[in-house]
This record gives sequence, structure tokens and C-alpha cells, in this order.
Amino acid sequence: MSKLTTVGLTKAFSGLVAVNDVSFNMEEGEILGIIGPNGAGKTTFIHLVSGILMPTSGTITFKGQDITYAPAHQRSRMGIARTYQLIHPLENLKVIENVMVGAVFSKDMSLKAARLESERICAELELEGLERDTTQLSILEIKKMEIARALANEPEVLFLDEVMAGLNSDETKHLIATIQRIARERKLAVGVVEHVMGVIRELTQRVIVLEAGELIAEGPYGEVSKNPRVIEAYLGGAA
Amino acid sequence: MKNKTSYAIAAGIAVIMIAFPAFLGAYPLNVARSVMTYMALAISWDMLLRSGQISFGIAGLFGLGSYASALAVLRGGMDPFLSIVFAAVFAGVMAYALGFVVLRLRSMYFSITTLALMEIFRIIIHNLHDFSGGPEGVVLPGVIFKGSASALYWLCLGGLFITIGASYYFEKSKMHLALTAIRNDETSARSNGVDIFKYLLIAFVVTSTLQGMMGAIQVQSYGFTMPDTAFDGNFTLLPLAMALLGGVHSTIGPMAGAVLLGVSAEWLKLQIPYGHLVVYGIIIIIVILFMPQGIVGMVRKASRTGRRSGRKAGASNE
Ligand SMILES: Nc1ncnc2c1ncn2[C@@H]1O[C@H](COP(=O)(O)OP(=O)(O)OP(=O)(O)O)[C@@H](O)[C@H]1O
Ligand SMILES: [Mg+2]
Repeated sequence: MSKLTTVGLTKAFSGLVAVNDVSFNMEEGEILGIIGPNGAGKTTFIHLVSGILMPTSGTITFKGQDITYAPAHQRSRMGIARTYQLIHPLENLKVIENVMVGAVFSKDMSLKAARLESERICAELELEGLERDTTQLSILEIKKMEIARALANEPEVLFLDEVMAGLNSDETKHLIATIQRIARERKLAVGVVEHVMGVIRELTQRVIVLEAGELIAEGPYGEVSKNPRVIEAYLGGAA
Repeated sequence: MKNKTSYAIAAGIAVIMIAFPAFLGAYPLNVARSVMTYMALAISWDMLLRSGQISFGIAGLFGLGSYASALAVLRGGMDPFLSIVFAAVFAGVMAYALGFVVLRLRSMYFSITTLALMEIFRIIIHNLHDFSGGPEGVVLPGVIFKGSASALYWLCLGGLFITIGASYYFEKSKMHLALTAIRNDETSARSNGVDIFKYLLIAFVVTSTLQGMMGAIQVQSYGFTMPDTAFDGNFTLLPLAMALLGGVHSTIGPMAGAVLLGVSAEWLKLQIPYGHLVVYGIIIIIVILFMPQGIVGMVRKASRTGRRSGRKAGASNE
């Protein structure tokens, strides 16, 4: 069943069209890769579907409901969660409280229930030391905390914007396995933006490729990586 | 264990404060009222600051509360005590309406707008001669509770307790998570279901209600007021300095700052007229430069490092 659909989604920043006429859909439980060279519009696309930015035109539908202009906090309540390319810890809250924010406001949980739920999610992600300040965390731990916070929204669709950036290869492997396990257990649709193609190959069942805001290819990574237009886009970006 | 002790200490202090009129004369009770008023304003200012919004409008809402209460009694024949409730609600309703405008603004723009609003309130009251008494102000038929020093003290203490209670609730409920999340990172707050406008509006309405209430208590306790008194900029400046000195983003910080500054200002006022204002200015500068966490923050840091070095010493003994 299709969870999230966009039709003709477009975002223009005074002249620059960052996302151009993108139509796509995301199925229940699938792990979808969103790739493309720097500045292709991947982050902007996630901003649009999560409600951080409003589109110039096009529509966004979630479980059959039009959410094109719904505010971000409502979308997180409906079941769309995300993390950010640049980390966004809430530095005046403890680790556990950071995660609780997701549960308290998206799920209207009491503080007590939210704490239990958050502890459970952190255990699921093997994140410990929950009474610490966020400044005491390693990069991997911060990434896990932000994933935990997103999961506390109890999402059906989760976007991870370059969540592997800054991790070494062991940590990356560990996080890939964790994301796969969680997606499976929670029947979660996950959209991952990554520049490292090894991660995309291992993690995703399907990818979409953006270039200069346009969706230029779609399919399993093995196929898409042989697509001449995709190769061109990446080479063009590198040159 | 630690919680029980601090509750016991808080209850003990509350009892002593309630009992003050039994062993203090009229002058110290008067000073205490002034300190408590500033303390309540400092706490309420801090409550909104926890969301990252710096209000310069305390005096505006304080003055609004003063006038709402005074005019309700004078023009509407309302019971003085009831007029305090009315004025608090009135300030809250005004904040609710204004919130739809000012809470769209951030940082400097929010601050300047709250300052401008305060000025607008003052000018309106100043110019509505027939209704508000104009620049000469208003004189009430009498002081509430027949001017009994103890009763006035308890009234003010009641206002302070309500404020402390509200602040404590903000610290312990989900308001704490909402306001801190908004202060730290609005984007992150939004994508985690925090309705930013809603929580800012709650904080703005609650703190304005408290400020209006303290203004009403003040006017009923003195029996007269005028625009320059009710909207005195000191009602903005002093609470701000107190909260900064004591330590922001907590209930205890502004309380500590208010006791220190309030009492020392009272003493200084007797030594050099207006000297206390110079001292306030100097304190704000020193705090901002050298102790951004305030006194409470410094104590916390010291006790943390103390505990840590204590643990280290213990370990080396083994
Ligand atoms: N708020 C904004 N205002 C103006 N232009 C913007 C804004 N945000 C993004 N852009 C532009 O839109 C284009 C797409 O940016 P976006 O961040 O979505 O790319 P990306 O695919 O995520 O790139 P990267 O891989 O580097 O993260 C870029 O040219 C960028 O400069
Ligand atoms: Mg990006």
C-alpha cells in the first residue's frame, strides 16, 4: 500500500528551482534511497514532505490524505518523522528528555509514559547513559539519539538525511544493521539520503535519483547505477 | 531522598515567610512586599525566557494590571479583591490577543515590540483623561484590607506563591520540554510535534496574567497610581537584572537574585538616592561578562566539580 505520494512537487527559491516537478511514492515497509549530486535538492525534498518548507506547487498525500500545506508538527503527529543533515540536539535537555520530546508532543503521552517509551526505544537502538547531557555524546550516540527521537513520534515514514556522515566504517555497518532491523520490526518506510553508494547498495531496495531538482531515474540501485543519465549527472557534478 | 529534603526546606521557608508579620514591623514588611513584587516579576519574566523570548514588556503588563484593577473599583464599583482577579484575567486576555502578533516575531524584534507595547499602554492611559484620570493618575476610595500591614503583606505573598507555583509547574511538566525545545531549536521542536505557537502563547498568557496580578496587588495596596508609576521602566529593568544575577531558566535563580538585589537596593536607596540604579547597571554588565549562568549556575558548577574532585580523592585512597 502506498504511504506517501507526491505529485508534481516543486519548490522555487526566488528563481532557483531546488525541487522541480517531482512525483514519487513510498510503499509501506520499504527502504528507499534518495541520491543525487550536491545541491540536487534531496534535503529540500525532505523539508517539503516533512513540512519544514512549503511547496511552490504540487501536492503531497499521506495515507490518502492531502497534507500539502499541513504544518510540520501535525505531520509528525500523523506519522512522518525525520532527522537532519546537520545534527539538531536540544542541548539544554538530557539525552532521555531529547527523546521524550518526540513522544510527549507527537503522541500526547504523559511524562511518565513518555519516559518509559523513550527508554525502550533507546534500548532498541543500544543507546545508553540516558541521563547525560548531549554535549557528552559521541557522534554515533548523537545520531542514535536523533533517530530515537524520531522513532518516539511512532512514525510510519521516516527520513534520514545523511545519517551516516561523520561515522567510521564500523559505526556505519552497525547503524545500517540497526536501521534495517528497526524498519523490519516496525514495518517502517524509510527514506535515506546518502552520498556513500556502498550504504545505498546495502540498505535500500529502491532508489530515486535527483539532479538539479528533477527526478531523473528510479529503480533498484543495481539498475539505476548503470543508467547513463545517472552516471552523467554524477560525473557532471564532479567535473 | 534529595527531593524530600528540598521539599521540607521549601515548606519551612514558606512557613517562616507566612509568619513574618508576627515579628516584623511595618517598615520591614513594606520592604519585603517590594522585594516580593520584584521577585514575582523576575520569575514570570524568566518563565517566558525559558522559550528563548526576551520580553521588555513586564512594566506594560504590570501597569495594565494596576489600571484594570483601579478602574474596575473606581468606575465599576468592583470589590477590590475581586478586581485583582479581574485585572489578572484582563492582562491575560490582552496577552492572548497581542500574542497573535508579537509571538510571530523573534529575538530583537520580539523584544523591541514588547517594549513598544508597554509605551503604547502608558500613552493610552495617559491620554484617556476622563476614564483613566490622565497623567495625574487615580486615587482609590481606600486601601484594600483597610491598609493592615500584615494583610497587605500576605496578599503580596499570595501573589508570589501563585507565581512560584506556576513557575514550578513550568519546570516539572511538559511545558519544560516544550519551552526548552523551542529555545534550543525550533526546527527540531516542530518536527517532533511541538506546536510552537501554542506553547509560546500559553507561556505569554500565563506570565502576563501573573504580571497583571502583581500590578493589581500593588495598586490596591497603595490606593493610588499614575502612568509614570504603574508603567515605571524599573518594573522591567529590575526583575531582568535580578533574574540574570540569580541565574536564568529556573525558579530558584530569579528568587535568589531578587533577595540579593532587592535588599541591597533598599539599603542603597537610603544611602544614595538613585544610587541603586547605578548599581543595577553595573551588576547587569558584570553578570553578562563574567557569570552568564548567574549565582545559582555558579553554585551548581562548583558543587559538581566539588563532587567530582571528591570522588577522585576517594578513589586514590583505595
Ligand atoms: N533556503 C534556501 N534558500 C535558497 N536556496 C536554497 C535554500 N535551501 C536550499 N537552497 C538551494 O537549493 C538547492 C538544493 O539544495 P539541497 O540542500 O536540497 O541539496 P542536497 O541535494 O540536499 O545537497 P547536499 O547533498 O549537498 O546536501 C541548492 O542549490 C541550494 O543552494
Ligand atoms: Mg542535503
